[in-house]
Amino acid sequence: MTGPKLEGDYFRFFGYDRRLALDPDDLQKRFYELSRKFHPDRFARMPPADQQYALDATSILNDGYRILRDPVARAEYVLKQEGFDVGEQRSKDVPPELLEEVFELNMALEELRGGDASARGALEEAEKKFIAMRDRIDGELAALFLEHDAAPGRETLQRMRGVLNRRRYIRNLVAEVQKELA
Amino acid sequence: MAYSNKVLDHYNNPRNVGTMDKADPNVGTGMVGAPECGDVMKLQVKVNPTTGIIEDAKFKTFGCGSAIASSSLATEMLKGKTVDEALTIKNTEIVNELALPPVKIHCSVLAEDAIKAAITDYKNKFVNTKAAAEVAH
Repeated sequence: MTGPKLEGDYFRFFGYDRRLALDPDDLQKRFYELSRKFHPDRFARMPPADQQYALDATSILNDGYRILRDPVARAEYVLKQEGFDVGEQRSKDVPPELLEEVFELNMALEELRGGDASARGALEEAEKKFIAMRDRIDGELAALFLEHDAAPGRETLQRMRGVLNRRRYIRNLVAEVQKELA
Repeated sequence: MAYSNKVLDHYNNPRNVGTMDKADPNVGTGMVGAPECGDVMKLQVKVNPTTGIIEDAKFKTFGCGSAIASSSLATEMLKGKTVDEALTIKNTEIVNELALPPVKIHCSVLAEDAIKAAITDYKNKFVNTKAAAEVAH
């Protein structure tokens, strides 16, 4: 039985170099091709070792697809592989300006929360603002992906990590304001 | 997840919520956060410059119940302590007092970080004020 080695990273498994700017359509195409290739039905009459290989490959394929198709998960995956702490629950390395900014945004949101129905318009404004911020961050992220792919380096990854941290905060603010509006 | 009664108590009746004047030379401000959970925690101490004793402490936290309870408890622990005593406060004391479950231990770590940040800020100000006073003499 020949097939990609099951160790190694998701990028290699999908036949990519390790790059962050992926074309979602191409990724999907590869996912379908590999899914067909490793479909357990095709291994039903093969030796048990091959059946197991197909099962393991299918599982890696699904995990890998889930990670690679989501730009944020994809970036976090690369950061983890490069030894960056991702998703750590401390403030180490979070720039004070970001904390100040998020604190102020939360304060503003809290003020609107306590208000009556008339606050709704302001909450909707806040929602728009947070979503616009998130979109801007996604734009920054896409630019960093290209920068990384052109010349991979820790400095770019470091900045990417900062952008991802900020995105988490803004994503939470979006969720908070939407909960309030629901 | 069930919160302990002590967490609920601090969450429902947080002590010492508020802010103090950041520009006050006797006030130390610590701002910390955990992007993963979206938490931001601001903790402030007001120190008597002659005795070095923390006379007041305030906090404002945006985050989960455990993060709010941890910072609320931290402000209670700080009052009456000297700045050096405050630096010895360990997150485990908060964990034990609030009976925090393992998944919420990071909230107590955040509170410890906030204490250290606030005290450090105060100490830096103190040194700078003294240096400025000496220059003036």
